[in-house]
Amino acid sequence: MIEIDNTSLYRVINIKHGYNNRFRLEIPDLTINKGISIGFIGSNGSGKSTLFRILAFLETPSEGTIFFNGKNVYGRPLSIKNDVTLLLQKPYLLKRSVFENIVYGLKMRGEKKNLKQRAFEALRWVGLSPEDFSQRRWFELSGGEAQRVAIASRLILKPKVLILDEPTSNIDQLSASLIKEAITAIRNRFNTTLIISSHDHVWLNKVADNILIIHNGRITGSGTENIIEGPWYHDKDDLWIKTLLDGKKIFATKPLNPDSIALLNPSEIIIANVKQSHISAQNILNGVITSMSTANEFEKIKVNVEIHGISLACNLTQHAVHELKLLPGKNVWVIFKASSLKWQ
Amino acid sequence: MEYLIDGFIRAAQLLLRGNEEAYSTIWTTLKVSSLSIIFSLLLGLPSGFMLSYLNFPGKKQIRAVVDTLLALPTVVVGIFIYGFISKRGPLGEFNLLFTISGIVAAQTILILPIVISLTASAIEGLDNRLMLTLITLGAKGKQLVFSIIYEARYAIFTAAVTAYGRAISEVGISMMIGGNIKWHTRTITTAIALESGKGDFAMGIALGIILLSIALFVNCSLIMLRRKA
Repeated sequence: MIEIDNTSLYRVINIKHGYNNRFRLEIPDLTINKGISIGFIGSNGSGKSTLFRILAFLETPSEGTIFFNGKNVYGRPLSIKNDVTLLLQKPYLLKRSVFENIVYGLKMRGEKKNLKQRAFEALRWVGLSPEDFSQRRWFELSGGEAQRVAIASRLILKPKVLILDEPTSNIDQLSASLIKEAITAIRNRFNTTLIISSHDHVWLNKVADNILIIHNGRITGSGTENIIEGPWYHDKDDLWIKTLLDGKKIFATKPLNPDSIALLNPSEIIIANVKQSHISAQNILNGVITSMSTANEFEKIKVNVEIHGISLACNLTQHAVHELKLLPGKNVWVIFKASSLKWQ
Repeated sequence: MEYLIDGFIRAAQLLLRGNEEAYSTIWTTLKVSSLSIIFSLLLGLPSGFMLSYLNFPGKKQIRAVVDTLLALPTVVVGIFIYGFISKRGPLGEFNLLFTISGIVAAQTILILPIVISLTASAIEGLDNRLMLTLITLGAKGKQLVFSIIYEARYAIFTAAVTAYGRAISEVGISMMIGGNIKWHTRTITTAIALESGKGDFAMGIALGIILLSIALFVNCSLIMLRRKA
């Protein structure tokens, strides 16, 4: 007998799913609680999108069981689908006006009241002027605007579960930033359960209560560790490198493959106020502290440092934080060994 | 060359002077082709949708047959339908021969493959993210079907215009099934055939110009409608 906790929204048990024997998603057990925000990290083709389609009830896994709100979803009426909405990695806008796109979901639910007012409000959530955009046709929008309209058409539904498959990929920074704000606001306002995948780890660390790593169709770890995605290139001897935005390099030992994900334990990172030399660690990188919070580890403080486009969390003792006079905005040096990176 | 110019003048005279016979022919043409397109859309849209959307055994073979029927000669349809609805035929009791209903039935059969095939192609050509998007926004059952057809509306308009063009311009069916009866089943195309046969080329050209004008008007109306949609 499977026990389903009252707080759990999804309970996924032993699901297996594949396409033409080429790819197989295998998840023995996964619980997603009501109202939480869960992030998924993994390289392209790792199985995130497949898992999301299953969680959105668009695909039925070949094997296994999914409980939603404590009930086995198979054989349930289609109405539960109204509780969940998914934004595809490459959203599709209907060949209609922006207004018609936004109110489509409401109309499908038989809701006809205050459509204009609600559509205008949803447009404002994503930073689009209703007066300028509501009557525009689908082909009169830029990529970022189309993405924001697609998000608005989901947010207006105030779903119990909002599944977002890389909502900020391939769009301009302004659109990405407005989408992130809208998602955070809607979650705080309606206690929506968020399931998100993103390559923007800085944002994901902020928005997600828990991060899971998915690799080759399997959940291989949780995101308390720092995640550094490939590609990795061979440098010299046994060393491999990942090049950061400004050309700085992260050194690692030989990865499983060039696209492997590296995990870095926050406790294996050393912080210094001045650049260190004559030490054995290969990675000595300059960054800025973006935030500080209580770490899950006893009496430790989680210090997030942004380094040339990636964000690393380091767990430091209160004493170390005090001694180094660490504060958000301060420039620091982050030091770790190449061998500290573990491969997924 | 002279009879071409004469044809233009006669066409203007027929229309401007309100020639009753010419208007009866125009009205019959519009009636049969409009009814045929309505019936073919009613039958062809759901059939085309199912042919593209559903998976069933023999689907490819059916598609091949439908595509082959795009080149169906009008006289072949005419002779088959004639065989069915003539007095000795299995549907003889319905007295459809030499009636508007008979022409409509035969024209519907003629243009149905066009509507089915082009609708199926239109649905198949839709972005494969459409279905997922509609479902994630809450569309189900009929809502899903109508939304998909609505997304393919431009291509379906094209199917309708193509089918209408085929119906309004065919002569074989109207002649064999309708019998070219004055004031009753005479269409513009059968009238052109008759007048040309009599040696009145100018009248034939005049009717031809009227037919082209109707086709142009219908196409322009559909283009306007498409823009509005």
